[in-house]
Amino acid sequence: MRLRRFAKELALYVSYPIEAIRAPSDVCRQVGVRGKDVVVLGVEKKSILQLQDPRTVRKVVMLDDHVCLAFAGLTADGRVLIDKARIECQIHRLTVEDPVTVEYITRHIAGIQQRYTQSGGVRPFGISTLIVGFDPHDARPRLYQTEPSGIYSAWKANAIGRSSKTVREFLEKNHKDDMSREESIKLTVKSLLEVVQTGAKNIEISVMESYGKVTNLELSEIEAIVTEIEREKEAEAERKRSRLAATAAGQAAMSTRAGDANEGSA
Amino acid sequence: METSFAITGKGYVIIAADTTAARSIVKMKVDEDKIKTLSPHLLMAYSGEPGDTVQFAEYVERNIRLYQIRNLYPLRPSAAASWIRRSLAESLRSRKPYSVNLLLGGYDTATHTPHLYWVDYLGTMTEVPFGAHGYGSYFALSLLDRYHDPEASMEQGLATLKRCIDEVSKRLVVSPGTYKVKVVDKDGVREVEL
Amino acid sequence: MNSFAERFSTTTAASQMRNAQKLADEDELDTAMWGSNAGFGSLAKGVPTFTVPAVADPTAFLRLHTDDHADPSCRIKIQHGTTTLAFRFQGGVIVAVDSRATAGSYVASGTVKKVIEINPYLLGTMAGGAADCQYWETYLGMHCRLHELRNRERISVSAASKYLSNLVYSYKGMGLSMGTMICGWDKTGPAVFYVDSDGTRLKGDLFSVGSGSTFAYGVLDQGYRWDLTDEEAQELGRRSIYAAGHRDAFSGNSCNLYHVKEDGWRFIGNYDIAKMHYDGPGNVAGSPGQGYGYDVRVEGRTSTNAPAVAAAA
Repeated sequence: MRLRRFAKELALYVSYPIEAIRAPSDVCRQVGVRGKDVVVLGVEKKSILQLQDPRTVRKVVMLDDHVCLAFAGLTADGRVLIDKARIECQIHRLTVEDPVTVEYITRHIAGIQQRYTQSGGVRPFGISTLIVGFDPHDARPRLYQTEPSGIYSAWKANAIGRSSKTVREFLEKNHKDDMSREESIKLTVKSLLEVVQTGAKNIEISVMESYGKVTNLELSEIEAIVTEIEREKEAEAERKRSRLAATAAGQAAMSTRAGDANEGSA
Repeated sequence: METSFAITGKGYVIIAADTTAARSIVKMKVDEDKIKTLSPHLLMAYSGEPGDTVQFAEYVERNIRLYQIRNLYPLRPSAAASWIRRSLAESLRSRKPYSVNLLLGGYDTATHTPHLYWVDYLGTMTEVPFGAHGYGSYFALSLLDRYHDPEASMEQGLATLKRCIDEVSKRLVVSPGTYKVKVVDKDGVREVEL
Repeated sequence: MNSFAERFSTTTAASQMRNAQKLADEDELDTAMWGSNAGFGSLAKGVPTFTVPAVADPTAFLRLHTDDHADPSCRIKIQHGTTTLAFRFQGGVIVAVDSRATAGSYVASGTVKKVIEINPYLLGTMAGGAADCQYWETYLGMHCRLHELRNRERISVSAASKYLSNLVYSYKGMGLSMGTMICGWDKTGPAVFYVDSDGTRLKGDLFSVGSGSTFAYGVLDQGYRWDLTDEEAQELGRRSIYAAGHRDAFSGNSCNLYHVKEDGWRFIGNYDIAKMHYDGPGNVAGSPGQGYGYDVRVEGRTSTNAPAVAAAA
């Protein structure tokens, strides 16, 4: 009897925090996209207050030379989890003499998160993470997600944070296998722009191209991509308008012709 | 027997350490690297009790790296040296102390100054223009008192180091055969052939 | 808004979750979260411990009952005389050992297995305390298997050797006596690591450990090249152990030979050292076809240099 109640409680317990992450508490959203030999992390930054130092608000961090992490949820929890992960990266190098694999550190982080759902006197980590990187001696990019319950999984492209569901649906429609660097970056930016219209200055893009090679795109580069996307959207809208106009014109013509025919028969 | 030297010069530190790993009368290995690169501008030569040396050096290496990942910039040489000395001093007062002697050479990119720290297993630390550990120090220190020049160019510095190594090879009964030499300056760390 | 004290006043799982949910729902708490009471302290896995003799001072206990340099007449005799060797070459790793176990001056056994088969890709050699080596290397094998299950990948030789080295280092000064070589083949190719109970761990091409190691080195170093063929390498391993078995009183009886290749290790054979002295290793690859012994090798040769005339007269 008691066991059953416990099981019920447990089920509640583990499913709650995932909801917590989708809650509108976090204005940021994070997108990860895996290309052919590149992996891109995109973050839509919460607008920084006028007097705040933007360098102190980070949502994408390095865990080691070859692993990057982005998180959504409670920033304070994130900081603690990230520090644990960074320490584990160094411990792994110390004891195994190899850098961590992306899966290993993901599993470790998920393990910590799981532990905090099962111990007394503690609160679970209120964050979801996206972890990207390359394994040592391997050219394939990796993208993993962890949730507060301790679940982890690998993805081709995924989003976390507010309205991540919409973004994920967008990614499901638009993701192709073996995308190039440019395509991957563009898809990332596009998916960020999909939900809320924000300027390029609120977008941060980190690109990892091979083991340990990480670049953060300059504002100008992101602006260029945003303008390109807007131009494409504009063109698309223009095409739609003209197609609409054409259809309307066609219908009008059809109806007049029908009218003519009627007249003729009369 | 284990020997290491280090000298500073105009904008650089040179560190040299022998490369033999011995057990009783047998040389188990003749190409062991006993100088670790702790950060882009920091080198550490270590010697002492077998086992302790590598354990301590790797522990320091990972902690200095962790600092850099956490803070996005590395520790400056003086700060790193202080941290390392304290680690040794704390270990000295534990159940099982590390018996490790160190030479720490770093280049402070903020002040464009090379720094060299001599640290022994008791946690003694002192900043020096040149330093040595092991039996080699009995020959090298007097030699360096006579020939060291704080404004020496890299070529002159390496020549002075060569004097030390040659003197030790000539006079020390159990002199080591080969040395590894590393340099740290404004461009970072690199290995040099003598 | 509830006070923070109230938020954290309950500790049941469900209420904790509700709190997490509540916190996540509130905008203004997002970045300004303070004192989250994450309770790091209560998650401690416990103080790490390891097994030591159940006496007040384990170090003193072991020093009293085991032999070391200070006191050779003691209760527990540890096997010290041994010759083991391992080297890396173009065709993999050769591991060769003798098979004698001595306790003081007494030959306790002549058929000891001094190569420990950790798993199909890893071998460990045994010198120093037989029990220490056997126990801890088998223990290492267990952890190698766990690593494999956890990471869906075979453990690297460097990781395996480091595991053992960290383990014996944690017992440093407490009487462990091991000098071992961890040999195997991983992603990086053939590898040999020397690990001893001081905590020393060295990566290298060629090692020999034990009381007969100096004799083995004498033959091994002179015959060693990277591009040895498989047959030459096996012959070199055999011959080096023979040399040590012949010269070192604490080594001998027979030689066990292993060869590690890309697909794991293979036992090549067991060779009697006395037989090798007089007749050679028998009909095996790389055999010289005669005994290794000096008198066998130089049979009929003499250094007498008498002038030709005198000889004729």
